[in-house]
Amino acid sequence: MEDLKLKLKQQIIDSLNLQGMKPEEIDDNAPLFGEGLGLDSIDSLELMVLLERNYGIKIEDAREGRKVLSSVQSMAEYIQQNQKA
Amino acid sequence: MADRIVVTSFGVFSALGLEKEVQMEALTGSRSGLQHPRYLNTVHAPEFLMGEVPMSDSDLADFLGLPVGENGYTRTTLLALVAMRELLKDVDKSLLADHQFAFINANTVGGMCSVENMYMDFIGEESEGPFTKYIDTLDCAESTQNVASYFGLKPWMATLSTACSSSANAIILGERLIRQGIVQRAICGGCDAMSRFTVNGFLSLKNVDKEPCKPFDQNRSGLNLGEGAGYLMLERESDAIARGAKIIAVLSGYCNSNDAYHPTAPSPDGAGAYRTMNKALRKAGLEPAQIGYINAHGTATINNDAAEGLAIQRLFGANPPLFSSTKPYTGHTLAAAGAIEAIFSIWGMNDGLAYPNLNFRIPMEELEITPVQTLQSGLEIKHVLSNSFGFGGNNVSLIFSKA
Amino acid sequence: MMKPVYISSACAITPQFSFNPAEFLQPLVSSSDGKLFAAEPDYRQYINPVAIRRMSRLMKMGISSGMRALELAGIKQPDAIITGTGLGSMTDMEHFLKDMIRLNEETLNPTYFIQSTYNSVNGWLAMQTKCTGYNQTFVNRGLSLELSLLDAQLLLQEDEDVHNVLVGAFDEMTPDYFIVKGKVDYWKKSIPASKDVLKYSDTPGTIGGEGTAFFVVSDKPENFVCTIAEVQVDLQPDKELIKTMIRELLQRHSMEPTDIDVLVTGMNGDSQWQPFYDEAVSDFPDSTAVAGFKHLTGEYPTAAGFAFWLATQLFSHQEIPQDVLIKGTSTKSIRNILIINHYILNTVSLSLLRK
Repeated sequence: MEDLKLKLKQQIIDSLNLQGMKPEEIDDNAPLFGEGLGLDSIDSLELMVLLERNYGIKIEDAREGRKVLSSVQSMAEYIQQNQKA
Repeated sequence: MADRIVVTSFGVFSALGLEKEVQMEALTGSRSGLQHPRYLNTVHAPEFLMGEVPMSDSDLADFLGLPVGENGYTRTTLLALVAMRELLKDVDKSLLADHQFAFINANTVGGMCSVENMYMDFIGEESEGPFTKYIDTLDCAESTQNVASYFGLKPWMATLSTACSSSANAIILGERLIRQGIVQRAICGGCDAMSRFTVNGFLSLKNVDKEPCKPFDQNRSGLNLGEGAGYLMLERESDAIARGAKIIAVLSGYCNSNDAYHPTAPSPDGAGAYRTMNKALRKAGLEPAQIGYINAHGTATINNDAAEGLAIQRLFGANPPLFSSTKPYTGHTLAAAGAIEAIFSIWGMNDGLAYPNLNFRIPMEELEITPVQTLQSGLEIKHVLSNSFGFGGNNVSLIFSKA
Repeated sequence: MMKPVYISSACAITPQFSFNPAEFLQPLVSSSDGKLFAAEPDYRQYINPVAIRRMSRLMKMGISSGMRALELAGIKQPDAIITGTGLGSMTDMEHFLKDMIRLNEETLNPTYFIQSTYNSVNGWLAMQTKCTGYNQTFVNRGLSLELSLLDAQLLLQEDEDVHNVLVGAFDEMTPDYFIVKGKVDYWKKSIPASKDVLKYSDTPGTIGGEGTAFFVVSDKPENFVCTIAEVQVDLQPDKELIKTMIRELLQRHSMEPTDIDVLVTGMNGDSQWQPFYDEAVSDFPDSTAVAGFKHLTGEYPTAAGFAFWLATQLFSHQEIPQDVLIKGTSTKSIRNILIINHYILNTVSLSLLRK
């Protein structure tokens, strides 16, 4: 799980082009949207693309997506539960 | 009193058909034009319904007397040509002298419907082939120039592109050019053809419904895409009367404003939509209660309908005018939507009708108001309001009044 | 005829040293591969750092030059924003399209789609300046900037609450674009140094370029650089008619050809269009200064933006740099400039600017 979270943080940084940010600066449980990193609805869609391309997990509904994407922790847990080979 | 600017001709082409009678039959008969696309070659065709015009490119070319096959005309232009020909049917060409009238066109992705199928040829090894006829067709002005050439016209031309509000903006610009004496008449509107680029673009936003869309419904899950073209001709009322033209409606108010909130989402409390509708009313010198029908933008996305619904409620109160979205009939025709829906609104006003908002079942929790659910007829409607709200925060409201 | 309006400020991001007004095209930038790419400034000064991360090049260029034009005019919030582009963000369009083809229409990035929409730059400028006023985007080939200026002029005339309009244009060149347009003979077959392209006007083709130009246009003659007296647009221009068009435009302003101090022409070294420009300037005295700019910017739909920017600099500096002067002399004071611009897809504009 720790490896997954570290990898995921780097993927988030790359996918959202969070220039200059390092994985260790993203707290596992910090909210990704609203406060915390302050990402927006387009970012949440980009993170869904990340999940699909890297982990084979397709989220159809944008609202469902926001719950899964609330933090790195929630994303990692969802990946572990749903990842396709 | 200032000369009013009036509508004296129109041409509308949508998934419902071409002639007014045919489209009205669908609108009053709750018959949607949405179906799985037959001509757009997308992997998503079996899953998604769209408002595709029921004619292939070959059918359209044939209908227009153009050579069938790779003739250099994109579907965008073909749709525009059909709608324009319909508009010009009863217009004496002598009214359209060089530079004395404006042609204001609008679309969102130009000839992408053709370009996307040839792009790999464009950038590939070969420097010659049928694809070269389409190399200059990507941009939005391609249809504008081709429509003018086809009809042998030399108007003052402009092409706008402001996403979903584009053709509504074209109508405003036409009015302003006439009012300021730059031209005597203006043909304004827009066109957009289905393309995989657009379909996949909206799919990437995850706001497309696989089922027929449900505007203003609590369980709505997004829009259906569509295509089409719509144009109307504007001129001064005094000119129309002088030449004995039938006056179809008066363009009595409008507003173009920007939400300035987010690239794709409206301000959630509907502030942008409220501002636009309110300013349009003030421009028309009307009170909210004087509006008989609102043709909502009503895309059935979570965000739009919440924002627009709240704005209508705030501006018009708990007993607003009859309102509905006609997008369940035609799909969201993007750049053409403003003009197509303006014309639908005018038809409804003149025939005393308010179209039902198809597929509506459950009111939205955040609203006290609900759209028209069954066709209303025998109405006395003096003024109609039509909304078009686009990406980039570009919001437009148009108000037409009975002649 | 519309009332004149006033350019309060101008900002251009171009292949030349232009963004910093003090530089004024020195030293001259030239390329040898037929392409001139814009010199990009530090965007972080002008764009919200959270937003900048997903913006394409053209968006950054457009927004920065718009914000800088406002800054130079001392205005925080314009009353309206009007933009023009010929092809919009090609980078985003190409990215989305090629992914769509490569991935067979599955799992695509929404950012590229959204940013490929032509009015996305306008939308961002409105968000950053919280401008809820009139906003419009023209996508009309070689007239996109001129139509934007015309719309601004119309708006300033008709709406008494509108005093300052941000008007701008932007276009970019991508490697794909260069390849594609090469197949319909846009470019020179034998490529000269860009600074010399105008000397090769006996062969077809030109060179490719890109850039942005933004202006604050106002209805008040206060702290302004110059007046826009008239912008005239035309499609399918006739070589035979251009002289008449110019004469009639000047007559509308009670002017003769001898009143024009500088002709800023969009000559681009293409033998197809050189006769058109030769005809256009033939009514003017031999001593009239004739300037060109497409050897500095390359050809692109909204290259006229550079011409307008250049005109503001000529009015401010009251001298014509040697690198832009094609013929004539520049000893007189510069009070009246006529911009004559033609674009490949058969559009022409005439713009009269006065001090």
